[in-house]
Amino acid sequence: MTDAPVILTHGLTKSFGDAQAVRGLNLSVGANRITAFLGQNGAGKSTTIKMLLGMVRPSCGEGTVLGKRITDAEENREMRRKVAYVAEDKPLYSYMTVEQTVRFASSFYPDWREAVAGRLLNEYKLPSQRKVKKLSKGMRTKLALLLAFARRPELLILDEPSEGLDPVGIEHLLQMLVAQAADGVTIFFSSHQIAEVERVADHICILDSGRLLLNASLDQLRQSYRRIDLVFASAAPDNEFRIAGVEKIQAKGHQMVLFAKSNAEAVVERARDLNAVSVEVAPVGLREIFLETVKEN
Amino acid sequence: MLWYKAWLETRARFLTSLATLTIFCAVFVGHAQGMIHPEWKADFNRLLFVSQQFIVIIWILAVVLLGMGGIVREKAIGSSSLTLSLPVSRARLVGIRVGVGLLEALTLAVVPWTTIFLVSSLARMPILITQVGFYILLLVGGGSTYFAMAVLVSSLVEGEYTSPAVAFGAVLLSAIIFDAWLRPYNLWRLVTGDFYIDRHTYLLSWPFPWRGTLASVSATALMLFASVKAIQRREF
Amino acid sequence: MFFKLNPTTSQPLYLQLMQQVRHAAETGALQDGDQLPGIRTLAEELVVSPNTVAKAYSELEHDGLLELRQGSGAFVCVRRRTRSLADHVHVARRKLRDLIEQLRDDGLSNEEIQRAFEAELLYPAEIVGRR
Repeated sequence: MTDAPVILTHGLTKSFGDAQAVRGLNLSVGANRITAFLGQNGAGKSTTIKMLLGMVRPSCGEGTVLGKRITDAEENREMRRKVAYVAEDKPLYSYMTVEQTVRFASSFYPDWREAVAGRLLNEYKLPSQRKVKKLSKGMRTKLALLLAFARRPELLILDEPSEGLDPVGIEHLLQMLVAQAADGVTIFFSSHQIAEVERVADHICILDSGRLLLNASLDQLRQSYRRIDLVFASAAPDNEFRIAGVEKIQAKGHQMVLFAKSNAEAVVERARDLNAVSVEVAPVGLREIFLETVKEN
Repeated sequence: MLWYKAWLETRARFLTSLATLTIFCAVFVGHAQGMIHPEWKADFNRLLFVSQQFIVIIWILAVVLLGMGGIVREKAIGSSSLTLSLPVSRARLVGIRVGVGLLEALTLAVVPWTTIFLVSSLARMPILITQVGFYILLLVGGGSTYFAMAVLVSSLVEGEYTSPAVAFGAVLLSAIIFDAWLRPYNLWRLVTGDFYIDRHTYLLSWPFPWRGTLASVSATALMLFASVKAIQRREF
Repeated sequence: MFFKLNPTTSQPLYLQLMQQVRHAAETGALQDGDQLPGIRTLAEELVVSPNTVAKAYSELEHDGLLELRQGSGAFVCVRRRTRSLADHVHVARRKLRDLIEQLRDDGLSNEEIQRAFEAELLYPAEIVGRR
């Protein structure tokens, strides 16, 4: 068990021509926990993951995964031995059969677990002699995920894993994630499914337009992220509320709405000092946190 | 299991080409069986020389097809994320693909010629085994350049149909250039033995053209090296 | 032992789990010496991060309610102190029930009641009423 971050980047940037897909990313993903990577389509999530795995070269900045430099081809290759990755499009070789695919994948990784692979093939009801091109989309997704779940890597990276799965499949996916986590695997997954993330994630990273806007533990967000609704007798004094922890202030007439990532108590105290007529504090769900964070950007 | 993967990917192309070439050789021998007069030996050799040019054409088409594929093509069909996440260097990925392709190219040269040799011997029109060896060496030594050309194109050009189109275009272009400006170095004439054929006996005359073959092999090596570099630098 | 965790509330899942274990101990659903599932088993069953279960168990052990034995699992230790606490909680729940009924009669919605509680828990003074 190590305390060093499993993924650590410093100023990671990627430009495609004039467009900057990733800007000055300082990502830190801790070991032995489940970290969810949230972001809109095109926010830079997939590009970031590709840079970590050596498929795309950063325009500038650096990073390490499991202590190995991502920009060094040899170190990156060594690191990939201990990392399991399932890309968003669940890639497989269409001309291989299920059995050939499993044999192929298992030959590269010493952390492959034959027993788990066999059990999952049964559970997913994947016909071993059928070619991948003849499998349904759901089966292909399950096979692609199986290639990762049959292993016991140090880090598991999943890009939109639940896409293409029905609710039963999603439930099974989450159970597999949790099982891997219980085995000591660090999990880093990107998802649009806020509901799933709220159930299993320990930690949240929010990426928007290539920038990291939030990196916090989910429990901490639950306990500290608050929406505060204020009503004043006269015009709402929004400039009085630039307090540490306040992410967003909206004022209209006598009313004001604040979103505070932390330090809500200080906001409430300031409101009372300013003789607010009404003070209401409410928790903020992850969906709303995401939407507010991204809107503000 | 990368060798196995490369084999699975090229299996259909390889077996089809092998079947085509072997059938062609069988047809040739069947045709030549009409000429069983020993005094027509020179004519048989001439027939052999002319026919083998067709073998060369089919062989070149086959190896250009075998040179297609690779990670750039995988990107087009959507499996490159899987291949590139493997703990294998890109150089090794290219190297194994090239290795399988070269072995297949060699087999495509040896098997048909061996067929001709065996069937001709059985039909009592024996060919000198040294001549067969000469032809094979010319074909593989010189012809490997076309394979390397195809590998290079497949490492640079995306698109499942664009890539082979460009590769065949390049082969055609090289043929035109050789014929128009580089006559003395015409690769085609090296590969088919046109430079070394004795016009009376229609036998390939020794010594073996080491310099020409070496030049060709060097070009092959250079293009393959360039292919590796192209893949290493590319972003996926 | 059935647990129900709600990921959409503002209470961290590990706290919810702790609360439910305590409640079970208070009401007698869990007796002294009963064994709770292992961290991995419970995490897979509830489909939550093992860290959630681990933290809950760890805190409960710190509070003296659970005994974690290496390799065997988590065992409940219900002590007298907890039982009297159970009575307090029982009474408190009844009081709350009456208060909430009253507030509802006054015209407040459930959400308004919840928000008022949240604000009060943050700041012990009275809410300044609307004019």
